[in-house]
Amino acid sequence: MRIQRKPSRRRPRSITLNLASMIDVTFLLLMYFMVTMVLAQPEDRLSPSLQTRADSTAGPAADFQPQIVEVLLVDRTPAYRLGTEIFRSKRELLAALAHLYTPAGLFVKVSDGVPVGFAAAAIQAARDAGFEQVTYVPDE
Amino acid sequence: MIDVVFLLIIFFMTTARFARLTRAEIDLPIEKGEQHEAPDEAGLIINITRDGAIIVSDRTVDLRRLEEIVHREIRRSPDRPPRQLKMLIRADRHTDSARLNQVVTMLRSLGVGSVRLATQVP
Repeated sequence: MRIQRKPSRRRPRSITLNLASMIDVTFLLLMYFMVTMVLAQPEDRLSPSLQTRADSTAGPAADFQPQIVEVLLVDRTPAYRLGTEIFRSKRELLAALAHLYTPAGLFVKVSDGVPVGFAAAAIQAARDAGFEQVTYVPDE
Repeated sequence: MIDVVFLLIIFFMTTARFARLTRAEIDLPIEKGEQHEAPDEAGLIINITRDGAIIVSDRTVDLRRLEEIVHREIRRSPDRPPRQLKMLIRADRHTDSARLNQVVTMLRSLGVGSVRLATQVP
């Protein structure tokens, strides 16, 4: 007697993946990375050139007296000196620089002991006053 | 939709990592900078922290080591004179300018013609 297997009447079930839970996990991951991401502060740049021999002797700018802004400590407080005048704020310095002849360029001489923020402010003031050529001169 | 969400996840993962790798924690001077200029290549980035430490490529270096790095940068592009090299200094606004002056003096002695000072847009 032969035993034959009775063919199943049931149709083979197709395997399906329930995506609902996967989407939940994926969204949770997305939220996690979005929340934990550290937003970088926007940056910009000031581009002072450095004093070199070529810069200091060549070109029409050399025909003019060098215009120098000194960033230094006066009574232990950072200040800006232009000629004999002392300025305590960037706004005052900018007002004074606006009267200068801008094509001649400007030297920004920064003394040791002054916070970098004041050096950057002096360079920014020079740029705002219209100086194309701003030369950073370190104190030596 | 899942594809898009996965792409977003990968984006956030990679950008978060890069931000940590390339930027040291520095309180930059708050100035608007020169916004009219087109952004150009970053070049060598020199970080100066509040306590005066010099960080290049996530490593703290001294002035002598920095000089070697700049030398190597100059040698890497022999067709370009040092005056045209791109240097970006990210100095903390509270740090003493003495450190910045040392770095600038060293760069000048190597013939580097210009540096850029990173600022934080107000």
